[in-house]
Amino acid sequence: MAFLEIEGLSAYYGKARALHNVDIAVEKGEIVAVVGANGAGKSTLLDSIMGLTTIKGDIRLGGDSLAGLSSRAIVEQGVGYAPERFNLFPYMSVLDNLLVGAFTAREEADRNLQLVFDLFPRLAERRSQETYTQSGGERQMVSLGRALMTGPSLLLVDEPTIGLAPKVCLDIAESLRRLNGETGLTIVITEQNANFAMSLASHLHILETGELKMSGTAEELGSDEELNKAYFGH
Amino acid sequence: MGIRWQHIALWLAFIVFMLALPELVSKGTLRTIIFANFLAIFAISWDVLSGRTGYISFGHPFLVGIGAYTSAILSYRFGFPIAASIPLAVIATMIGGTLFFLPALRIRGSYFALVTLAFMELMYQLVQVIRPDLTGGTRGMSGIETITRGAVNNYYLSFSLMIIIALAMWLVMKTRLGTALSAIGMNEESVRGSGLDTTKLKLAAFMIAAFIAGLGGAFYVHYLGSIAPRALFDINFLFTIIVAALIGGASTIIGPMIGAFFLTFLLEYLRPVLPGAERYFIYGGIALILYMYQPKGIYEVAKQGWSRLRAARAGAGP
Repeated sequence: MAFLEIEGLSAYYGKARALHNVDIAVEKGEIVAVVGANGAGKSTLLDSIMGLTTIKGDIRLGGDSLAGLSSRAIVEQGVGYAPERFNLFPYMSVLDNLLVGAFTAREEADRNLQLVFDLFPRLAERRSQETYTQSGGERQMVSLGRALMTGPSLLLVDEPTIGLAPKVCLDIAESLRRLNGETGLTIVITEQNANFAMSLASHLHILETGELKMSGTAEELGSDEELNKAYFGH
Repeated sequence: MGIRWQHIALWLAFIVFMLALPELVSKGTLRTIIFANFLAIFAISWDVLSGRTGYISFGHPFLVGIGAYTSAILSYRFGFPIAASIPLAVIATMIGGTLFFLPALRIRGSYFALVTLAFMELMYQLVQVIRPDLTGGTRGMSGIETITRGAVNNYYLSFSLMIIIALAMWLVMKTRLGTALSAIGMNEESVRGSGLDTTKLKLAAFMIAAFIAGLGGAFYVHYLGSIAPRALFDINFLFTIIVAALIGGASTIIGPMIGAFFLTFLLEYLRPVLPGAERYFIYGGIALILYMYQPKGIYEVAKQGWSRLRAARAGAGP
């Protein structure tokens, strides 16, 4: 049994279907990437795990079904969500942004805050800065940090590199790798940048217009010619 | 940010100054300040709801009106003592606040604002049509029992009420609840994604706003001694509340207070020059210019001026 099991998942916004019959399995301690273009359904997939859409099918974490639970209950089950960095609270300090993430894991707030500051010392230095004044990379750190404050066993990261400079992308990748290596955290990221995804993840899943087109290890997909043309530009 | 001693010193200086004020100014000015105190209470109530969570209320007089009318009817028609009618009025306003909250489950932004405006209009029509023997219909009621007499006593009463509410809200907004409410105003989806129950949080904001509006409305009616639907469910009154909160500095506690005093005195001093509704053009103009220059309001202008002054002094020092 995989740690995260997504089975026959279809997701809807009102009557519009954004995901169709998606199956994904993620092993504990793994980094997995969901790759696709704009509108492929990547964010919808993460929103669905978080209970923010209407779904059919099942999502299980450690064997327990998350389907039909409230977002709060899902966070309490151990799912942390770092949405795109544009979804911070712009006129609040870094610290307050992080603390909003700490509502469900109040007892561990101090410990989790220390973990976030160890991982991103820059946030510790700038803890009282309002996030709208920060650079894209810093905001991405706040978004990740806020998700880590919930004390997750599964971290969902939506498009961590969107609009960031290559150097900053590498820093973010390094942080995620460290997090995965040091704490054994299971991580699911979504990406348009297939090369970035491949450098980071052990398994990749390709989404196209709401359907799973292909799944496999980085090596398997790296040798697929058609895929290389479509997603990796070589 | 922690509570700094400068904060406390400033608040204490402000309170001492306000307590000494009746010795320094005329009774007429005191009456103006009494209105400013009440306006500050309504603006704080508006700000807890709209300034924080971003659910813009265009119907705040609905809440204030429930508080005022309930207490007035209970004491004037049924002979309840004020000590009972005011708490009951607050409870009634919180029940009304629950109705006010229902649309916020489904809609936001300008749609929510319009629905709340409809609440105010509906209330305006209802008090005139339904049981005019209780509400006094179009003419309202006069001769309602007052809590105390004289400008000085009423000044102290309204100021105490305002300052207690302001300090209480200041403390509440320093808690995690305050942080979460502000977060909702900036990105409600992200708050949900962080595992917070936004419905409960919003309900809390509506209940706090209703509590303050009801309390303020009830005390206000027992200060005026009269009530008329035309003055209460009025678009000018509504905008005065909103502009007071925004012009002073939304999402702060001191901001709505500054805004209330600024607007009240502006309207009062313009009265001899512009006796009619033209005065509202002037404050509309001032509000417009301020938003273009500094959307965070007078409080932010003062804060930046202060830090510039300090920087200049530090630069000029040895």
